[in-house]
Amino acid sequence: MYNPYSLEGKTILVAGASSGIGRELAIECSKLGALVHIIGRNSDKLSETISLMNEGKHEFHVCDITNDEELDMLVDKLPVLDGFANCVGVAKVMLMKFLNKKALNEIIETNAVAPISLMQKLVRKKKFSKKSSVVFTSSLSGVYTVHYGDALNATSKGAINAFAKSAALDLAAQGIRVNCVNPGVVATDAAFSGTSLTKEEMEAKQQYFPLKRFGQPKDIALAIIYLLSDASTWITGVNMPIDGGYTLL
Amino acid sequence: MYNPYSLHGKTILVTGASSGIGQSVAIECSKMGASVVITGRNQDRLQETFGMLEGSGHVQIPADLSNYSEIQKLVEQCPKVDGVSHNAGIAKIIPVKFISSETLEEIVGTNAFGPILLTQTLIRKKKINSNGSIVFTSSLSGVYCVHYGESMYAASKGAVSGFAKGAALELAAQGIRVNCVNPSIIQTNIFKNEGDIISDEQMQEKIQNYPLKRLGVTTDVSWAHIFFLSDASTWITGVDLPIDGGYILI
Repeated sequence: MYNPYSLEGKTILVAGASSGIGRELAIECSKLGALVHIIGRNSDKLSETISLMNEGKHEFHVCDITNDEELDMLVDKLPVLDGFANCVGVAKVMLMKFLNKKALNEIIETNAVAPISLMQKLVRKKKFSKKSSVVFTSSLSGVYTVHYGDALNATSKGAINAFAKSAALDLAAQGIRVNCVNPGVVATDAAFSGTSLTKEEMEAKQQYFPLKRFGQPKDIALAIIYLLSDASTWITGVNMPIDGGYTLL
Repeated sequence: MYNPYSLHGKTILVTGASSGIGQSVAIECSKMGASVVITGRNQDRLQETFGMLEGSGHVQIPADLSNYSEIQKLVEQCPKVDGVSHNAGIAKIIPVKFISSETLEEIVGTNAFGPILLTQTLIRKKKINSNGSIVFTSSLSGVYCVHYGESMYAASKGAVSGFAKGAALELAAQGIRVNCVNPSIIQTNIFKNEGDIISDEQMQEKIQNYPLKRLGVTTDVSWAHIFFLSDASTWITGVDLPIDGGYILI
């Protein structure tokens, strides 16, 4: 069956695959024919992800990507990749005046420094085939919008977004493309546990989205797969807002 | 075979289908399982595209979209659709001081008024199913950058991208999504048609400005259209997607 979006024959690395967008992405990649390597901190959750994927020689790697030694060991073990998607991310709401170095370090380390280090090591150790594609899960926050108390998240996502553009330029000569997806509020466990809003407030919040719903992990996963696939070989360095029209207003 | 990007069961209207990007969108949509309604000015070339479509159930309706009565006729004949791909467009390089109201009307008429009025008429006549998707071939030009002599073209494409955002907002209530793709130079005849706007040597030089070191090909754009037309993008509306080999990075 004709499908330019197919991942058949590709090996894809998904970081942050124990839950949420990363888990959904790993599942969808497997359904579209990819061999998938997944990374996460929790081995139970990773094997659960594997059990939800289409059968294949997929592998999971338990790794805390904020730990440089673990990262080196991981990268050495990995095969040559055709694609890498980073879905690692944490969110913390903290008003500007209460910011502190500890919180700042923690969020920036996880959301920006660790994925950047992973990417750097993958390139350095020649783990990308020619014509590879990399997608970072950035955010609306810090690139298109912000919210009250969003400084930590916005700062870290603005950083990863800027890195992606630089990497896109630096790696274009090798045929490696680098893009970002920028989701609005996606209904994941992490998004809902990290919020101080009540259920009613969350319902009301959906009304701010012209399409009248929050995103589903699959909305993001399928955009990432478009950017990982050979259907997008002339697209690099872009942001793709995925937000139900939120930024229109 | 699992394929969330499939257009199976969908009817898609494709304008500008007699050549270039529009022709590629029509062909690729048919390959992805859609029934395609193609329109264009040149009947012979439209027929040529029609012959290249895969599968069955396709329709061709010749129309000049710079003419409002032809838009109305097209919409009357058009079946209900799940998607619209706007590609009709012309390019002309004219420095600001040589702009005339005739050329301005021609360019903005074809590139902006045409697609805007077609969209309006399709909506008014209830020809777009709920959960439908509309995609415009806008441009890098006028939205992300411009070049010398491109001001009218940029104005027409800026208008399209602006309209698309307004339409995205208003039509969201009906579940209809509206997005733009913003290509840089795609190797089509649009440059040749208008009397060798750019020479081959200039083209080779230009390639060096693209980090990915090539110009675009029509499928680079048509596959973006299909992504937006498909159910893989049901939470995406009102965006501009640059397709430019990294051009705007620098």
